[in-house]
Amino acid sequence: MDGLEREIVELLPRLRRLARALARAPADADDLVQVTVERALVRRGQWRPGTRLDSWMFRIMKNAWIDESRARTRRGALFAPEAAGEAVGDDGAAAMAARLAAREVETAMARLPQDQRIAVALVLVDGLSYQEAAEVLEIPAGTLTSRLVRGRAALLADLGEAAP
Amino acid sequence: MTLEERLIAYVDGELAAPDRAAFEAELAADPTLADKVAGHRRLAARISSAYAPVLGEPAPPQLVAIASAANDRGAGRRLPRWAAMAAGLVIGVVAGRALWPEPGPLAVRGGELIARGGLDQALTSRLAADGGALRVGLTFKARDGRYCRTFRSAEDRLAGLACRHDGRWVALATAAWAPAPSPDYRTAASGDPPAVLAAVDAAIAGETLDPAAERAARDRGWKP
Repeated sequence: MDGLEREIVELLPRLRRLARALARAPADADDLVQVTVERALVRRGQWRPGTRLDSWMFRIMKNAWIDESRARTRRGALFAPEAAGEAVGDDGAAAMAARLAAREVETAMARLPQDQRIAVALVLVDGLSYQEAAEVLEIPAGTLTSRLVRGRAALLADLGEAAP
Repeated sequence: MTLEERLIAYVDGELAAPDRAAFEAELAADPTLADKVAGHRRLAARISSAYAPVLGEPAPPQLVAIASAANDRGAGRRLPRWAAMAAGLVIGVVAGRALWPEPGPLAVRGGELIARGGLDQALTSRLAADGGALRVGLTFKARDGRYCRTFRSAEDRLAGLACRHDGRWVALATAAWAPAPSPDYRTAASGDPPAVLAAVDAAIAGETLDPAAERAARDRGWKP
Protein backbone atom coordinates (compact mmCIF):
# COMPACT_ATOMS: atom_id res chain seq x y z
CA MET A 1 0.00 0.00 0.00
CA ASP A 2 1.46 3.34 -0.90
CA GLY A 3 0.98 6.25 1.46
CA LEU A 4 -1.00 8.30 -1.00
CA GLU A 5 -3.83 9.12 1.36
CA ARG A 6 -1.45 10.18 4.11
CA GLU A 7 0.39 12.43 1.73
CA ILE A 8 -2.93 13.90 0.67
CA VAL A 9 -3.80 14.63 4.29
CA GLU A 10 -0.45 16.38 4.67
CA LEU A 11 -1.15 18.37 1.55
CA LEU A 12 -4.58 19.53 2.73
CA PRO A 13 -3.38 22.87 4.15
CA ARG A 14 -1.83 23.86 0.83
CA LEU A 15 -4.79 22.57 -1.15
CA ARG A 16 -7.12 24.62 1.02
CA ARG A 17 -4.99 27.74 0.67
CA LEU A 18 -4.89 27.45 -3.11
CA ALA A 19 -8.63 26.78 -3.24
CA ARG A 20 -9.29 29.91 -1.19
CA ALA A 21 -7.31 31.97 -3.68
CA LEU A 22 -9.45 30.51 -6.48
CA ALA A 23 -12.94 30.22 -5.06
CA ARG A 24 -12.91 32.94 -2.42
CA ALA A 25 -15.93 31.88 -0.35
CA PRO A 26 -14.55 29.43 2.24
CA ALA A 27 -17.43 26.97 1.73
CA ASP A 28 -16.86 26.94 -2.04
CA ALA A 29 -13.14 26.52 -1.47
CA ASP A 30 -13.57 23.49 0.78
CA ASP A 31 -16.04 21.99 -1.69
CA LEU A 32 -13.35 22.40 -4.33
CA VAL A 33 -10.78 20.68 -2.10
CA GLN A 34 -13.20 17.83 -1.47
CA VAL A 35 -13.84 17.31 -5.19
CA THR A 36 -10.09 17.41 -5.78
CA VAL A 37 -9.37 14.77 -3.13
CA GLU A 38 -12.17 12.55 -4.40
CA ARG A 39 -10.94 12.77 -7.98
CA ALA A 40 -7.37 12.08 -6.89
CA LEU A 41 -8.45 8.93 -5.06
CA VAL A 42 -10.52 7.70 -7.98
CA ARG A 43 -7.59 8.32 -10.34
CA ARG A 44 -4.91 7.08 -7.98
CA GLY A 45 -3.61 4.74 -10.69
CA GLN A 46 -2.54 7.78 -12.71
CA TRP A 47 -0.21 9.10 -10.04
CA ARG A 48 3.33 7.74 -10.17
CA PRO A 49 4.93 7.51 -6.72
CA GLY A 50 8.13 9.51 -6.65
CA THR A 51 6.65 12.31 -8.74
CA ARG A 52 5.29 15.51 -7.28
CA LEU A 53 1.95 14.89 -5.62
CA ASP A 54 1.35 18.63 -5.19
CA SER A 55 1.68 19.34 -8.91
CA TRP A 56 -0.61 16.44 -9.76
CA MET A 57 -3.30 17.48 -7.29
CA PHE A 58 -3.04 21.17 -8.18
CA ARG A 59 -3.71 20.17 -11.78
CA ILE A 60 -6.74 18.14 -10.68
CA MET A 61 -7.93 21.15 -8.68
CA LYS A 62 -7.48 23.46 -11.65
CA ASN A 63 -9.61 21.20 -13.85
CA ALA A 64 -12.23 20.73 -11.14
CA TRP A 65 -12.41 24.49 -10.64
CA ILE A 66 -12.87 25.15 -14.35
CA ASP A 67 -15.48 22.38 -14.63
CA GLU A 68 -17.37 23.73 -11.66
CA SER A 69 -17.23 27.32 -12.91
CA ARG A 70 -18.63 26.25 -16.29
CA ALA A 71 -21.38 24.26 -14.61
CA ARG A 72 -22.31 27.26 -12.50
CA THR A 73 -22.39 29.49 -15.54
CA ARG A 74 -24.70 27.02 -17.31
CA ARG A 75 -27.00 26.86 -14.31
CA GLY A 76 -26.82 30.59 -13.79
CA ALA A 77 -26.09 29.81 -10.17
CA LEU A 78 -24.67 32.36 -7.81
CA PHE A 79 -21.58 31.74 -5.82
CA ALA A 80 -22.13 31.38 -2.11
CA PRO A 81 -22.92 34.84 -0.78
CA GLU A 82 -20.18 36.68 0.98
CA ALA A 83 -20.76 36.88 4.68
CA ALA A 84 -20.03 40.56 5.06
CA GLY A 85 -18.59 41.45 8.41
CA GLU A 86 -18.31 37.81 9.39
CA ALA A 87 -16.15 36.70 12.24
CA VAL A 88 -14.68 40.00 13.23
CA GLY A 89 -15.94 39.22 16.74
CA ASP A 90 -13.64 40.20 19.55
CA ASP A 91 -10.47 40.19 17.49
CA GLY A 92 -7.95 42.81 18.41
CA ALA A 93 -7.63 45.90 16.24
CA ALA A 94 -4.48 44.55 14.56
CA ALA A 95 -6.15 41.25 13.72
CA MET A 96 -9.14 43.07 12.32
CA ALA A 97 -6.94 45.31 10.18
CA ALA A 98 -5.13 42.25 8.83
CA ARG A 99 -8.47 40.63 8.10
CA LEU A 100 -9.71 43.70 6.24
CA ALA A 101 -6.51 43.88 4.21
CA ALA A 102 -6.94 40.20 3.32
CA ARG A 103 -10.53 40.82 2.23
CA GLU A 104 -9.37 43.54 -0.14
CA VAL A 105 -6.93 41.08 -1.66
CA GLU A 106 -9.66 38.43 -1.95
CA THR A 107 -11.97 40.88 -3.68
CA ALA A 108 -9.26 41.95 -6.13
CA MET A 109 -8.34 38.32 -6.85
CA ALA A 110 -11.98 37.46 -7.50
CA ARG A 111 -12.11 40.14 -10.19
CA LEU A 112 -9.28 38.58 -12.19
CA PRO A 113 -10.12 36.37 -15.15
CA GLN A 114 -9.71 32.71 -14.26
CA ASP A 115 -6.51 32.09 -16.21
CA GLN A 116 -4.79 35.06 -14.56
CA ARG A 117 -6.15 34.25 -11.12
CA ILE A 118 -4.81 30.71 -11.07
CA ALA A 119 -1.42 31.81 -12.42
CA VAL A 120 -1.13 34.40 -9.65
CA ALA A 121 -2.38 31.90 -7.05
CA LEU A 122 0.19 29.25 -7.97
CA VAL A 123 3.14 31.65 -8.03
CA LEU A 124 2.34 34.29 -5.41
CA VAL A 125 0.14 32.32 -3.01
CA ASP A 126 1.67 28.85 -3.17
CA GLY A 127 5.14 29.99 -4.24
CA LEU A 128 5.70 27.62 -7.14
CA SER A 129 8.43 28.42 -9.66
CA TYR A 130 7.38 29.53 -13.14
CA GLN A 131 8.30 26.14 -14.54
CA GLU A 132 6.30 24.28 -11.89
CA ALA A 133 3.29 26.54 -12.36
CA ALA A 134 3.43 26.18 -16.14
CA GLU A 135 3.47 22.39 -15.75
CA VAL A 136 0.45 22.45 -13.44
CA LEU A 137 -1.43 24.59 -15.93
CA GLU A 138 -0.13 22.67 -18.94
CA ILE A 139 0.83 25.87 -20.74
CA PRO A 140 4.13 27.20 -22.14
CA ALA A 141 6.27 29.28 -19.79
CA GLY A 142 5.78 32.37 -21.97
CA THR A 143 2.00 32.10 -21.63
CA LEU A 144 2.32 31.82 -17.88
CA THR A 145 4.54 34.91 -17.75
CA SER A 146 2.13 37.03 -19.77
CA ARG A 147 -0.79 35.94 -17.55
CA LEU A 148 1.26 36.88 -14.49
CA VAL A 149 2.03 40.29 -15.97
CA ARG A 150 -1.60 41.03 -16.80
CA GLY A 151 -2.91 39.66 -13.52
CA ARG A 152 -0.46 41.63 -11.46
CA ALA A 153 -1.11 44.84 -13.37
CA ALA A 154 -4.81 44.48 -12.58
CA LEU A 155 -4.10 43.75 -8.91
CA LEU A 156 -1.76 46.72 -8.65
CA ALA A 157 -4.40 49.01 -10.10
CA ASP A 158 -7.10 47.55 -7.88
CA LEU A 159 -5.13 47.53 -4.64
CA GLY A 160 -3.42 50.87 -5.19
CA GLU A 161 0.10 49.54 -4.80
CA ALA A 162 1.32 51.20 -7.99
CA ALA A 163 2.50 54.36 -6.27
CA PRO A 164 5.12 54.11 -3.53
CA MET B 1 10.98 39.41 -22.75
CA THR B 2 9.21 42.70 -22.28
CA LEU B 3 10.31 45.02 -19.51
CA GLU B 4 7.25 44.08 -17.45
CA GLU B 5 8.05 40.39 -17.83
CA ARG B 6 11.65 40.94 -16.76
CA LEU B 7 10.46 43.05 -13.85
CA ILE B 8 8.18 40.42 -12.34
CA ALA B 9 10.68 37.66 -13.10
CA TYR B 10 13.21 39.68 -11.13
CA VAL B 11 10.81 40.14 -8.21
CA ASP B 12 9.99 36.41 -8.26
CA GLY B 13 13.65 35.38 -8.35
CA GLU B 14 13.22 33.87 -11.80
CA LEU B 15 15.95 35.80 -13.65
CA ALA B 16 19.16 33.88 -14.29
CA ALA B 17 22.36 35.48 -13.04
CA PRO B 18 23.43 37.42 -16.18
CA ASP B 19 19.93 38.77 -16.78
CA ARG B 20 19.61 39.63 -13.11
CA ALA B 21 22.85 41.61 -13.11
CA ALA B 22 21.75 43.49 -16.23
CA PHE B 23 18.38 44.28 -14.69
CA GLU B 24 19.97 45.46 -11.45
CA ALA B 25 22.17 47.83 -13.43
CA GLU B 26 19.07 49.32 -15.07
CA LEU B 27 17.41 49.49 -11.68
CA ALA B 28 20.28 51.46 -10.17
CA ALA B 29 20.05 54.02 -12.98
CA ASP B 30 16.27 54.38 -13.06
CA PRO B 31 14.37 55.52 -9.94
CA THR B 32 11.02 55.01 -11.69
CA LEU B 33 11.88 51.39 -12.34
CA ALA B 34 13.00 51.02 -8.73
CA ASP B 35 9.61 52.34 -7.58
CA LYS B 36 7.87 49.81 -9.77
CA VAL B 37 9.93 46.98 -8.32
CA ALA B 38 9.09 48.15 -4.82
CA GLY B 39 5.38 48.25 -5.70
CA HIS B 40 5.53 44.72 -7.07
CA ARG B 41 7.34 43.49 -3.99
CA ARG B 42 4.65 44.97 -1.75
CA LEU B 43 1.96 43.41 -3.89
CA ALA B 44 3.60 39.97 -3.74
CA ALA B 45 3.94 40.18 0.04
CA ARG B 46 0.35 41.32 0.39
CA ILE B 47 -1.10 38.52 -1.73
CA SER B 48 0.97 35.90 0.03
CA SER B 49 0.15 37.09 3.54
CA ALA B 50 -3.58 37.40 2.78
CA TYR B 51 -3.86 33.64 2.33
CA ALA B 52 -1.14 32.49 4.75
CA PRO B 53 -3.55 32.07 7.72
CA VAL B 54 -5.38 29.29 5.86
CA LEU B 55 -2.35 27.05 6.43
CA GLY B 56 -2.88 27.26 10.19
CA GLU B 57 -6.59 26.52 10.13
CA PRO B 58 -7.67 23.03 11.10
CA ALA B 59 -8.64 21.08 8.00
CA PRO B 60 -12.35 20.27 8.14
CA PRO B 61 -12.64 16.80 9.74
CA GLN B 62 -14.77 15.73 6.79
CA LEU B 63 -11.85 16.22 4.40
CA VAL B 64 -9.46 14.33 6.64
CA ALA B 65 -12.02 11.53 7.00
CA ILE B 66 -12.30 11.04 3.24
CA ALA B 67 -8.59 10.35 2.90
CA SER B 68 -8.23 8.49 6.20
CA ALA B 69 -11.12 6.12 5.52
CA ALA B 70 -9.67 5.19 2.15
CA ASN B 71 -6.27 4.77 3.75
CA ASP B 72 -7.47 2.24 6.28
CA ARG B 73 -9.17 0.15 3.66
CA GLY B 74 -5.90 -0.27 1.90
CA ALA B 75 -3.74 -0.72 4.96
CA GLY B 76 -5.84 -3.45 6.50
CA ARG B 77 -6.22 -5.75 3.52
CA ARG B 78 -4.28 -5.58 0.33
CA LEU B 79 -7.04 -4.83 -2.07
CA PRO B 80 -6.64 -5.28 -5.79
CA ARG B 81 -6.53 -2.18 -7.93
CA TRP B 82 -10.13 -2.55 -9.10
CA ALA B 83 -11.28 -2.60 -5.49
CA ALA B 84 -9.32 0.54 -4.68
CA MET B 85 -10.92 2.24 -7.66
CA ALA B 86 -14.33 1.02 -6.59
CA ALA B 87 -13.64 2.42 -3.13
CA GLY B 88 -12.76 5.73 -4.72
CA LEU B 89 -16.03 5.72 -6.61
CA VAL B 90 -17.93 4.95 -3.43
CA ILE B 91 -16.15 7.83 -1.75
CA GLY B 92 -17.24 10.05 -4.60
CA VAL B 93 -20.82 9.12 -3.99
CA VAL B 94 -21.07 9.16 -0.22
CA ALA B 95 -18.28 11.54 0.70
CA GLY B 96 -18.87 13.47 3.86
CA ARG B 97 -21.96 11.63 4.88
CA ALA B 98 -22.02 8.03 5.74
CA LEU B 99 -18.89 6.01 5.42
CA TRP B 100 -18.34 2.46 6.34
CA PRO B 101 -17.63 0.55 9.51
CA GLU B 102 -13.98 0.04 8.67
CA PRO B 103 -11.02 0.30 11.01
CA GLY B 104 -9.59 3.79 11.35
CA PRO B 105 -9.03 6.49 13.94
CA LEU B 106 -12.16 8.46 13.10
CA ALA B 107 -15.58 7.68 11.72
CA VAL B 108 -18.42 9.94 10.67
CA ARG B 109 -21.60 9.29 12.61
CA GLY B 110 -24.63 11.50 12.42
CA GLY B 111 -22.60 14.39 11.10
CA GLU B 112 -19.99 14.09 13.83
CA LEU B 113 -16.50 12.71 13.67
CA ILE B 114 -16.14 10.01 16.33
CA ALA B 115 -12.92 8.50 17.66
CA ARG B 116 -12.88 4.75 17.31
CA GLY B 117 -10.61 1.76 17.81
CA GLY B 118 -7.20 2.53 19.21
CA LEU B 119 -7.83 6.26 19.32
CA ASP B 120 -11.04 5.80 21.33
CA GLN B 121 -9.20 3.51 23.75
CA ALA B 122 -6.28 5.87 24.11
CA LEU B 123 -8.51 8.87 24.79
CA THR B 124 -10.50 6.86 27.33
CA SER B 125 -7.70 5.19 29.22
CA ARG B 126 -4.33 6.76 28.52
CA LEU B 127 -2.66 9.49 30.55
CA ALA B 128 -0.43 12.19 29.12
CA ALA B 129 2.52 10.65 30.97
CA ASP B 130 2.05 7.31 29.21
CA GLY B 131 3.58 8.46 25.92
CA GLY B 132 3.65 6.01 23.04
CA ALA B 133 2.96 6.30 19.34
CA LEU B 134 -0.57 7.45 20.08
CA ARG B 135 -0.24 10.13 22.72
CA VAL B 136 -2.73 12.13 24.65
CA GLY B 137 -1.52 15.66 25.26
CA LEU B 138 -3.65 18.20 27.09
CA THR B 139 -6.76 17.39 29.10
CA PHE B 140 -9.20 20.08 30.15
CA LYS B 141 -12.80 20.92 30.84
CA ALA B 142 -14.70 22.74 28.10
CA ARG B 143 -17.06 25.59 28.83
CA ASP B 144 -20.01 23.21 28.70
CA GLY B 145 -18.41 20.98 31.36
CA ARG B 146 -17.32 18.18 29.06
CA TYR B 147 -13.83 16.77 29.23
CA CYS B 148 -11.68 17.34 26.17
CA ARG B 149 -8.29 15.92 25.24
CA THR B 150 -5.76 16.56 22.50
CA PHE B 151 -4.15 13.62 20.74
CA ARG B 152 -1.33 12.92 18.32
CA SER B 153 -1.07 9.72 16.36
CA ALA B 154 2.29 9.03 14.73
CA GLU B 155 0.86 6.14 12.73
CA ASP B 156 -2.06 8.14 11.36
CA ARG B 157 0.02 11.33 11.12
CA LEU B 158 -2.93 13.02 12.66
CA ALA B 159 -3.39 15.36 15.60
CA GLY B 160 -6.62 16.64 16.99
CA LEU B 161 -8.91 17.66 19.79
CA ALA B 162 -11.77 15.43 20.96
CA CYS B 163 -14.41 15.99 23.65
CA ARG B 164 -16.39 13.41 25.59
CA HIS B 165 -20.07 13.35 24.71
CA ASP B 166 -22.59 10.59 25.37
CA GLY B 167 -19.90 8.02 25.98
CA ARG B 168 -17.99 8.85 22.81
CA TRP B 169 -15.10 11.09 21.86
CA VAL B 170 -16.20 13.65 19.29
CA ALA B 171 -13.40 15.28 17.29
CA LEU B 172 -13.73 19.08 17.22
CA ALA B 173 -10.57 19.65 15.22
CA THR B 174 -7.98 17.62 13.40
CA ALA B 175 -4.75 18.56 11.67
CA ALA B 176 -2.07 16.78 9.73
CA TRP B 177 0.82 16.08 12.05
CA ALA B 178 4.22 14.51 11.52
CA PRO B 179 6.39 13.37 14.40
CA ALA B 180 9.63 14.42 12.68
CA PRO B 181 10.90 17.95 12.04
CA SER B 182 9.27 19.08 8.85
CA PRO B 183 9.27 22.04 6.48
CA ASP B 184 7.08 25.10 6.36
CA TYR B 185 3.50 24.06 5.90
CA ARG B 186 3.63 21.04 8.12
CA THR B 187 3.18 21.43 11.82
CA ALA B 188 5.85 21.62 14.45
CA ALA B 189 7.55 18.46 15.58
CA SER B 190 6.83 18.77 19.27
CA GLY B 191 3.56 19.50 20.97
CA ASP B 192 0.17 19.94 19.39
CA PRO B 193 -0.14 21.72 16.05
CA PRO B 194 -1.20 25.40 16.15
CA ALA B 195 -4.55 24.53 14.58
CA VAL B 196 -5.33 22.14 17.43
CA LEU B 197 -4.13 24.60 20.05
CA ALA B 198 -6.41 27.23 18.54
CA ALA B 199 -9.33 24.82 18.95
CA VAL B 200 -8.27 24.27 22.57
CA ASP B 201 -8.24 28.01 23.18
CA ALA B 202 -11.73 28.27 21.75
CA ALA B 203 -13.16 25.48 23.91
CA ILE B 204 -11.32 25.60 27.22
CA ALA B 205 -12.78 26.83 30.48
CA GLY B 206 -10.05 27.67 32.98
CA GLU B 207 -6.79 25.72 32.94
CA THR B 208 -5.66 22.34 31.71
CA LEU B 209 -5.85 19.49 34.23
CA ASP B 210 -2.73 18.57 36.17
CA PRO B 211 -1.69 14.89 36.19
CA ALA B 212 -3.58 14.12 39.41
CA ALA B 213 -6.80 15.70 38.14
CA GLU B 214 -6.35 13.97 34.78
CA ARG B 215 -6.07 10.58 36.49
CA ALA B 216 -9.06 11.29 38.72
CA ALA B 217 -11.22 12.32 35.75
CA ARG B 218 -10.26 9.17 33.89
CA ASP B 219 -11.02 7.00 36.90
CA ARG B 220 -14.50 8.56 37.08
CA GLY B 221 -15.07 7.58 33.45
CA TRP B 222 -14.90 11.17 32.18
CA LYS B 223 -18.27 12.01 33.72
CA PRO B 224 -18.67 15.81 33.83
